[in-house]
Amino acid sequence: MQFPEIFDVIVVGGGHAGTEAALASARMGRKTLLLTHNIETLGQMSCNPSIGGIGKGHLVKEVDALGGAMATATDEGGIQFRILNSSKGPAVRATRAQADRILYKAAIRWRLENQPNLWLFQQAVDDVIIEGDRIAGVITQIGLRFKAKAVVLTAGTFLNGLVHVGLENYRAGRAGDPPAISLAARLRELSLPAGRLKTGTPPRIDGRTIDYSVLEEQPGDDPVPVFSFLGSPEQHPQQLPCWIAHTNERTHEIIRSGLDRSPMYTGVIEGVGPRYCPSVEDKIMRFAGKESHQVFLEPEGLATNEIYPNGISTSLPFDVQINLVRSIRGLENAHILRPGYAIEYDYYDPRGLKNSFETKAIQGLFFGGQINGTTGYEEAAAQGLLAGINAALYAWDEPAWCPSRDQAYIGVLVDDLITRGVSEPYRMFTSRAEYRLMLREDNADIRLTEVGRKIGVVDDVRWEAFSRKQEAIARETERLKRTFVYPAMLDETIATAVLGKQIEREYPLFELLRRPEVSYEALLSLTGDEGESDPQVRQQLEISAKYQGYIDRQQDEIQRSRYYESLEIPEDLDYRDVKGLSIEAQQKLNVYKPQTLGQAGRVSGITPAAVSLLLVYLKKKYKAKNTKDLGDAA
Amino acid sequence: MIRVSGRAAPDIAVTILGRCPSPRHATYIDFLDTDGSTIDRGIAIYFPAPHSYTGENILELQGHGGTAVLQRLLQRCLALGAKLAEPGEFTKRAYLNDKLDLAQAEAVADLIDASTDLAARSAMRSLSGEFSSHVHALRERLINLRMYVEACLDFPEEDIDFITEGGVIDKLESIRNELSLLSTTAKQGSILREGIQVVLIGQPNVGKSSLMNQLAGQDIAIVTAIAGTTRDTIRSEIQLEGVPIHVIDTAGLRETVDEVEIFGIQRTWRAAETAHIALILVDATHGITENEKSILARLSGVPQQIWIHNKIDLVNSSPEIREVDGKTHIFLSAKTGHGISLLKQHLLELAGWRAGTEGVFMARQRHLKALDGVSQSIENAKKNLNQAELLAEDLRLAQESLNEITGEFTSDDLLGEIFGRFCIGK
Ligand SMILES: Nc1nc2c(ncn2[C@@H]2O[C@H](COP(=O)(O)OP(=O)(O)OP(=O)(O)O)[C@@H](O)[C@H]2O)c(=O)[nH]1
Ligand SMILES: [Mg+2]
Repeated sequence: MQFPEIFDVIVVGGGHAGTEAALASARMGRKTLLLTHNIETLGQMSCNPSIGGIGKGHLVKEVDALGGAMATATDEGGIQFRILNSSKGPAVRATRAQADRILYKAAIRWRLENQPNLWLFQQAVDDVIIEGDRIAGVITQIGLRFKAKAVVLTAGTFLNGLVHVGLENYRAGRAGDPPAISLAARLRELSLPAGRLKTGTPPRIDGRTIDYSVLEEQPGDDPVPVFSFLGSPEQHPQQLPCWIAHTNERTHEIIRSGLDRSPMYTGVIEGVGPRYCPSVEDKIMRFAGKESHQVFLEPEGLATNEIYPNGISTSLPFDVQINLVRSIRGLENAHILRPGYAIEYDYYDPRGLKNSFETKAIQGLFFGGQINGTTGYEEAAAQGLLAGINAALYAWDEPAWCPSRDQAYIGVLVDDLITRGVSEPYRMFTSRAEYRLMLREDNADIRLTEVGRKIGVVDDVRWEAFSRKQEAIARETERLKRTFVYPAMLDETIATAVLGKQIEREYPLFELLRRPEVSYEALLSLTGDEGESDPQVRQQLEISAKYQGYIDRQQDEIQRSRYYESLEIPEDLDYRDVKGLSIEAQQKLNVYKPQTLGQAGRVSGITPAAVSLLLVYLKKKYKAKNTKDLGDAA
Repeated sequence: MIRVSGRAAPDIAVTILGRCPSPRHATYIDFLDTDGSTIDRGIAIYFPAPHSYTGENILELQGHGGTAVLQRLLQRCLALGAKLAEPGEFTKRAYLNDKLDLAQAEAVADLIDASTDLAARSAMRSLSGEFSSHVHALRERLINLRMYVEACLDFPEEDIDFITEGGVIDKLESIRNELSLLSTTAKQGSILREGIQVVLIGQPNVGKSSLMNQLAGQDIAIVTAIAGTTRDTIRSEIQLEGVPIHVIDTAGLRETVDEVEIFGIQRTWRAAETAHIALILVDATHGITENEKSILARLSGVPQQIWIHNKIDLVNSSPEIREVDGKTHIFLSAKTGHGISLLKQHLLELAGWRAGTEGVFMARQRHLKALDGVSQSIENAKKNLNQAELLAEDLRLAQESLNEITGEFTSDDLLGEIFGRFCIGK
């Protein structure tokens, strides 16, 4: 049957990518359909119950700055909040929260159900409708045909999932969901380049059987942080601590004795797992010298006793799992509620995507989330948001949008994926961002909210709050730059307390704020001014003053590469025509067809000389416009 | 000659010459150092945009001095904000600014393609021995240090105090020492004065020693009609337009039982190992034989090999240079001196003494400049020991500078180092 409504955008999958994609498209006024195999699992955290962390927290703030749901849902469902790296500089500080699964899910579900322009429908998608090289819609399990101009596929780990516990395995999606096998088969038929990855979870534990008295308590921060730029601590439910346990030599012995029945060590699993999130068997095998590993016991919610022991992900047989858990101090009597397992799943080589996440092969078909070879809710949400935005833009024939590497971690994520592909599940780290000092949690809104407003994903409430903040920052910066202090003006004791010693000449206040030891608060005490009270504004003033030298330098670097970075390469270019390119470079570039010269330069194995050759060729063939200023050379 | 192209060329002129010369007029003028002293005196010509080779403002400085003086002048330009031209950069700019036509664009491509790889390889050789092993040691240390610093930023929840365990402060200090060692060596000039190494190689009696004497303009090596005259390697430095070139005459290659000759032949191969250019001599009366082909096969590590067909006076042909299958063949007579100028000209071109191509000299400048960048960043890093994220930024910049010598090292490579070394992750 043909469904009577025709949509602008259909989003397939109701995980973190799918929900952000659907919400973004609907916020932009597109008639949007979210298709999920189960409405009950919308917004489900299928792995560990936490959101954020280094690099990931940065992504969540960016999603928030673009009007996404993840940060607010975490504020409403978070039961422990911490700022990681709080003793280090602002660029690497990151928010992390434990979330109550049920509250989080409810917060997401509420948003989905109350979002204008968004339709929800429960049906597994089996097939896509393709007309020529364009997407036209999808077909569900019972043969319903839904038509749309654009389709966003966020089927995540459900694609061709294979779960392993010991040497037993069965076909399934994450956490008991059915795997999307027929869709995977259909996509394989379209011969999009695919690969296989692996990830795992630990056994879950009944909290009533844990002896907390022998464990180290890890409380949340005080004052309690918030995630969203619009959030407040009052939104948070009751807060809980986490607990830290440790493996010991006996634990390791038990694991070693079970390796002959490990699907990883017997070669049953073919997918590649992440290096940074190793299973506990990997940890003790690869780092035999380490006597003990941390295990973080994380509460899964307020209304449940279930505990997520973060750090002992495993696919060993269940009998080994029981013994290994019970060898840990404090868990001697632990009851396992669900066994740990490893899951293998399909992903599509993201080098087949444009930076809008549209597939290069099929127009109007967008991929977002784990399907692109990433891991993590935050990475999924960020991609979903971008894919949703671009599907919406596409549906109304508007040009695609993607932030650059110097603008957002989302930009780094996209660019890494589409130029370098993945060799393991991709996770964000701050070290992936060369412009790390500029891409901070605290300024995600300054980097993105304005462009988000133009695109149409930022609503009035957020826009007004943002504009007020920006005005306050501009006003106060101006004042600090204009206001001079003179030696005679300053009380000797206060000056010594704040600046170390009395000043010998006049200074603008802004100049003093640039000194590492001078806080905004202390600066105000010099002159007795009241200043700005909004902590977000204060923070921006301080950071921008202190980082200025470094940020100016990075801006320079960006400026220098801008021309190359954004020079577009025509889609139909045959690299075999580019004189001087090595055969290897020609082949690589012909397969991945980068959209810009900047992207081409980041494809592995493409040298600066190859980029120069391309530039010369493009100029010749397509009369690339004005070369701008190339700097001075001798 | 030094050529500066870009918007700031007139500003650089004002600083170095005291004024910007009037457009397109050769002006005889002093080139001034930072302290106002004269580096050299020579001709300066200023071509304002767009009426210049590249279409940008161009300043040309042509001095009298040799390599060392030129070197100082170049440093001065770099200090004033110019960057070293990439291989083929001037031609590329000319092209991009619509100064060259389509056909010439092909030539640009050739230029970039051919010169980069070769020059980089030669330059690494010219920095050979102690110098290059220092550079590699430096790279290892920098990566190791970054591994700890980045791990401390990205993995604060691990039970490892990366900064303390990694001995970050000590490591930074040892990198500084390594660098200052390197830069003093460089400043003493031993490396810069090394020049390019040219080895003369071939069967006995083909005329290697005769060619050596011709190039040097004096009788350095003994020449006789007896095969196996030269027993040991003989070195001589010659200057071609101020560019130092080390010519090495070697024992002729052949099967032999003579113990002295066997040692000599071993030395011949050793000399070839560090050479930038091998001149393979052939007796023109025989042409290239199987023996010569097997010599060529053993010289694949030398960046450039050139066939020298000697004794053309015996076959009555005239001097000539031509390309066959990507190899240069020069026909000359070491006895009469005919064709020697062709060889000299060609050597100069390979040394990078022609506008547009990048030779060993320029590539090496780039390396030294890169090391300067590393030093700068490491000095900054020392000031940021208490701010790990700024320390990390300085180290990243140091790595980027070093990458220009040693090749790409990506953030993903760095993560690989971290995951290989530490047990990270929950
Ligand atoms: N006619 C003519 N004779 C030459 C020429 N070059 C060298 N000879 C003669 O060839 C003989 C060998 O010359 P050398 O320069 O000693 O040859 P070599 O390659 O150094 O020989 P070994 O040191 O024995 O390996 C001498 O008699 C030279 O005079 C040339 O261009 N023309
Ligand atoms: Mg000889």
